[in-house]
Amino acid sequence: MLKAHIVKKRCEITVNVSLELDKGSSLGLFGASGAGKSTILACIAGIEEPDDGYVKLGNLQFFPPSLPLHKRHIGYLTQEPGLFPHLRVSENVSFGISNELAADKEHSHWIETLRDRLQLAPLWHAPASLISGGQARRVSLARMLARKPPLVLLDEPFAGLDRQLVRELIDDLIFWSRTLGFSMIAVDHQAEVLKRLCPEQAIALEAGEIVQRGKWDELCSTPATPLLRSLLTPL
Amino acid sequence: MRVDRRWLARAGAALFALALLYPLTALFAHIGPWQWGGDVRGSALSSVRVSLLLTGCAMVIIVAVGTPVAAYIARCRIRERLFWQAVLLVPILLPPLALGILLTLAFGPHGTVGKCLEHFGIVMTNSAAAFVSTQIYVGVGYYVLGAVAAFDAVPLTLQNQAALLGLAPRKVFLRVTLPLSRLGLAVALSIAWVRTIGEFGAVVVTAYYPSGMPVQLWVNLQSFGLPAVMPLLVVFLAAALPLPWLVHVLAQRQRHA
Repeated sequence: MLKAHIVKKRCEITVNVSLELDKGSSLGLFGASGAGKSTILACIAGIEEPDDGYVKLGNLQFFPPSLPLHKRHIGYLTQEPGLFPHLRVSENVSFGISNELAADKEHSHWIETLRDRLQLAPLWHAPASLISGGQARRVSLARMLARKPPLVLLDEPFAGLDRQLVRELIDDLIFWSRTLGFSMIAVDHQAEVLKRLCPEQAIALEAGEIVQRGKWDELCSTPATPLLRSLLTPL
Repeated sequence: MRVDRRWLARAGAALFALALLYPLTALFAHIGPWQWGGDVRGSALSSVRVSLLLTGCAMVIIVAVGTPVAAYIARCRIRERLFWQAVLLVPILLPPLALGILLTLAFGPHGTVGKCLEHFGIVMTNSAAAFVSTQIYVGVGYYVLGAVAAFDAVPLTLQNQAALLGLAPRKVFLRVTLPLSRLGLAVALSIAWVRTIGEFGAVVVTAYYPSGMPVQLWVNLQSFGLPAVMPLLVVFLAAALPLPWLVHVLAQRQRHA
């Protein structure tokens, strides 16, 4: 279970947010650009350090004091696939896996399952620098899932992708979250993406503060502020 | 007839390149038969050995010390980084002769460190130790500043991602930062190499003996004239130029790949 209270001063706003997330559940963070959504994810991941507050996942205290990134055991997907260009696709997916685990038969089977489910077999031995943007997102998803993290953070991982691919990736994420039982926090500008990924819980942010909490349906039917209503209105 | 502008530009660049390479034609100048016998040959071969061996030692030390320093500076905040970069610029900006004189005084028998080293039998004038230490002072700034630039070019997001995938900082450095900055590091190393192996001003003060190639070239010029200089000059160019040239070509190929 994730418990967090994050206080972080940005250029013009101060993010001041409390979150709780049960094991296996998902939460969507919604709001205008600069509302502090990505800052919250970065603070949980450890990319940024909160000015105050706390972050705790189960019995593991992330902050304070700041726990090194490599000890957090979380998945973090961003707009950039962040593949290591000097490695092959297969090496990217297995990156960070210990030799003992890599030698384990069950783990090998798990990697093969990921490879087949995410349609990575044709490019398994290709250099990561030579694959397309859509393929790179699949690889980064496989790489994240390979370690079976208990918490997954998604910071607009579908930006710039075509709708068909976004739909496939969302379906994959939902499938794996059910299979592996990980918790998920997603940030996106597109309400429909969050609605599909995290239908049960949503938080709307404005200038670093929470302006509404609830299910997606409630958020869409009765938005708490004019800005939120505007953001939820189709173009 | 209309001339393609691109061809005009190309002709201009070719003229520029010719002017740049023109000094190399002096290798074919009529200065009489080249001297390569007796004293000239022995001292020239000795200087080649000294230069390659001791410059190699200096480069090993520069890389061993400079790489972690550069990795640290690359992660510093801007103010601290500016401070370290300003420090690294000092030996680069000092005129070579001035650097040589300062090193002789600081590490010679009159300096505190020099006295201390002499106590342990390490002589820091006209010795291999003096030669190597001078070259380190000459080259380390070039290497570290180049290495900082190479580390800067590795996206921080990739290093963070590697850490989030469970790698401790040392492993992130070895498996992500170092491989992705290797060509930048090689360029930094080649610049430091060509700068140190060609150093004359500082080395002639601190380590006239054992003479490296630049000092020997000067000695040959003073003692025997140009015919005794040319063979050693060819060897010097062959030893100093291929590494940086090759690294530069490889770096450009990768950039445009």
